[in-house]
Amino acid sequence: MVFELNAALSDKLHILSAAAKYDVACTSSGVSRKSKKGELGAAEAAGICHSFAADGRCVSLLKILFTNECIFNCKYCINRCSNDVPRTSFTPDEICQLTMEFYRRNYIEGLFLSSGVMQSPDYTMELICDSLRKLRLEYKFNGYVHCKAIPGASPELVEMAGWYADRMSVNLELPTEAGLKELAPNKTRKNILTPMRQIQAGMAESRAILGMKGGNQSSYWYTQKRMGRSLPGSQENLGFVAGTANNRIPAENAGSKQNTHKGINNNIKNKINADNNLNADDSLNINNNIINNTHNTETALSSRGSVLAQWNRSDTSRGFVPAGQSTQMIIGATGESDYQILSVTEALYQKFDLKRVFYSAFVNVNNDSSLIVNDGQPPLHREHRLYQADWLLRYYGFAAGEILSESRPFFNTYLDPKCDWALGHMEYFPVEINTASYNTLLRVPGIGVKSAGRIVNARKTGRLDFNALKKMGVVLKRAIYFITCNGRMMYDFLKVEEDYITRNLVSGETDVVKGFGDSITYKQLTLFDDFQLGKL
Amino acid sequence: MDKPVRIYQCENSPDGILSAVFEAGISGYGHNYIKIQPLDQDSIYNIELFSEYIKVETSAKKAGNVLETIESRISHEAVFFVMSALLSEDGDRGNVIYQFVTYGFTIGQGITKALQLECVARIFEIKRKVHNEAHFYKEFIRFQEVKKVPSVLMAKIEPKNRVLTLVTAHFEDRFNAEYFIIYDKSHKEASFHSADGGCIIRILTEDEEKKLDSLLDVNEKYADLWKIFFNSIAVEERKNYKLQRGNLALHYRKYMTEFMENN
Repeated sequence: MVFELNAALSDKLHILSAAAKYDVACTSSGVSRKSKKGELGAAEAAGICHSFAADGRCVSLLKILFTNECIFNCKYCINRCSNDVPRTSFTPDEICQLTMEFYRRNYIEGLFLSSGVMQSPDYTMELICDSLRKLRLEYKFNGYVHCKAIPGASPELVEMAGWYADRMSVNLELPTEAGLKELAPNKTRKNILTPMRQIQAGMAESRAILGMKGGNQSSYWYTQKRMGRSLPGSQENLGFVAGTANNRIPAENAGSKQNTHKGINNNIKNKINADNNLNADDSLNINNNIINNTHNTETALSSRGSVLAQWNRSDTSRGFVPAGQSTQMIIGATGESDYQILSVTEALYQKFDLKRVFYSAFVNVNNDSSLIVNDGQPPLHREHRLYQADWLLRYYGFAAGEILSESRPFFNTYLDPKCDWALGHMEYFPVEINTASYNTLLRVPGIGVKSAGRIVNARKTGRLDFNALKKMGVVLKRAIYFITCNGRMMYDFLKVEEDYITRNLVSGETDVVKGFGDSITYKQLTLFDDFQLGKL
Repeated sequence: MDKPVRIYQCENSPDGILSAVFEAGISGYGHNYIKIQPLDQDSIYNIELFSEYIKVETSAKKAGNVLETIESRISHEAVFFVMSALLSEDGDRGNVIYQFVTYGFTIGQGITKALQLECVARIFEIKRKVHNEAHFYKEFIRFQEVKKVPSVLMAKIEPKNRVLTLVTAHFEDRFNAEYFIIYDKSHKEASFHSADGGCIIRILTEDEEKKLDSLLDVNEKYADLWKIFFNSIAVEERKNYKLQRGNLALHYRKYMTEFMENN
């Protein structure tokens, strides 16, 4: 192992950004914050990408590790302790200068600080906190900060980081506990879920006291609300509601928070440290494909008192982790099905109130023989399908069980998950554009969140035809099989029939879209309907 | 019986176009027979046979009048649509704005959502293009430190539409304590922001343009560090230049630090 202690800043940057690149999240979204006079930076709710690297992924944040030294030995990780790679560390000041100077030139939207585990989780977390404190208080940086909670770090340090950061994340790494045991022997589900639970509870408290400034809700939450379903992070899921229990802090008492929070330091361990109770299999039970209720954890959290011990500090105005938390799973290193992964995702949105779950197609950097390797290429197509399904969960109101099931645990290679769902549910179609509800429109392939909103608004002024739909951004190539305008389909020859539509969707039959589709008088033998492959 | 189309020719500026909208509106000639053609002083255009041409004098008062009327008779959102379209360089924007306003007076505030109408779909598209371009520059604009004490940052852009005001407003907020200049080469104008909060946008003289161009000839330490970061953050196994081009079009790369060769 080579330690490059006195390396030049450029070498450190090279090593520590290359070591951080496998972390997927580079979003700067989730919080909207105006600038402060004399400080540098602001934040936009939708986030801003600043460049796109050669792999086509966006570069929004200065994504670096504090150090790539690590005492852990996770088999999938380039920085594991058994690898012989150059090792180096930044100083907190170097991180601050890079962030400030990059930000001033509009290279980045903020900082994404992660780290290998140096000496111990607590030691590392302290270095991260130190850097963030400097950046916020000494360098007066008001832009976006995303930081990692190191599994196993003490709750005090996790909380401290949460007051400086906008978003925090703890990586779930692998969808199942068994996979984690196998590939990341130093990490446990408990170590990962405990800080996740702590951050969730802290955000809920921050929101209850500071209002929206303390952190807005996730897209999943808004979608569930619109559909009239039970909300993630609500009482039955988390056991936390402001103003119910007698020593709960009511929102209107935000001014007297110092008093209310006296002596909380003693409480914090009992409250969050459901460590003893937080059993991974209770929270995210994959083996049965059922997400059992997080009974033990809920009991711990719904016990009285605040979960945030550090209200008594100078800079609570940003709120606690106002942009929420996210996590990441490695796809294709272990043998889970897509259905298992998607079920875990759904459970994370429901039980842990996450903003995002990221999927990382496994890149076998270590050529470790114990890892599944499929032809050496990262499973990018599978990752793509997972993101599509993730959007269906968060914005379209789909449930994981609608998209996949135990009997059909893998995505269709040829069709996106929404088309696939629609073809299996032809009883709902065709849908009449001029009368269908917003939620119904969202279920139509080719209609998205934006075009559905435009349709609902535009039909207040007059009826819509296919020409108008095209202008509104509806993808007619997919939508024409599933919709009618004023009672008519776009072309009379279109059939509402699963095999016919599958064949046309898969082959991208442009003739149909142009209106010549019925001129094909013979039937070609195709894999997709004659052999029912479309249903895969 | 068909009557000849009237073409209102006006100055190629927001006030000019709005003045033409004003004149066309009060003429009562019928919106199907009216076109608005913004002209640069030296621009060349095709003269249509059988059309009447009317020169419109630019009047700030008439322009303001049009906006006030849209605000009171349609909605604030409609004003936003028109103002956004005025920042565009689309040659058809005069017609589109005139049609949009005319329909808007009949339909009322619902007009901004009525995308099934041709003129609304067009103005919506023009507006979206302007704001998309402004957003791209918020993402991709790159500043250089052109002077050390006090530190002055400068960026150069070549936008298709007049997005300088939108882009400047974005940086006025986040860079409130910085001196910065954003130089729009295609429209020969620049915004100057001072650390005490003042900000002006104005047309540049030729000498000023030369001066600003010469300022950008510097190699910076942080530009080099940024290139190092940018190159090492890409995952080799996922290389995908097509996706990169889709997300970041080549013409934006002209002044982007990470795509520029060192001098």
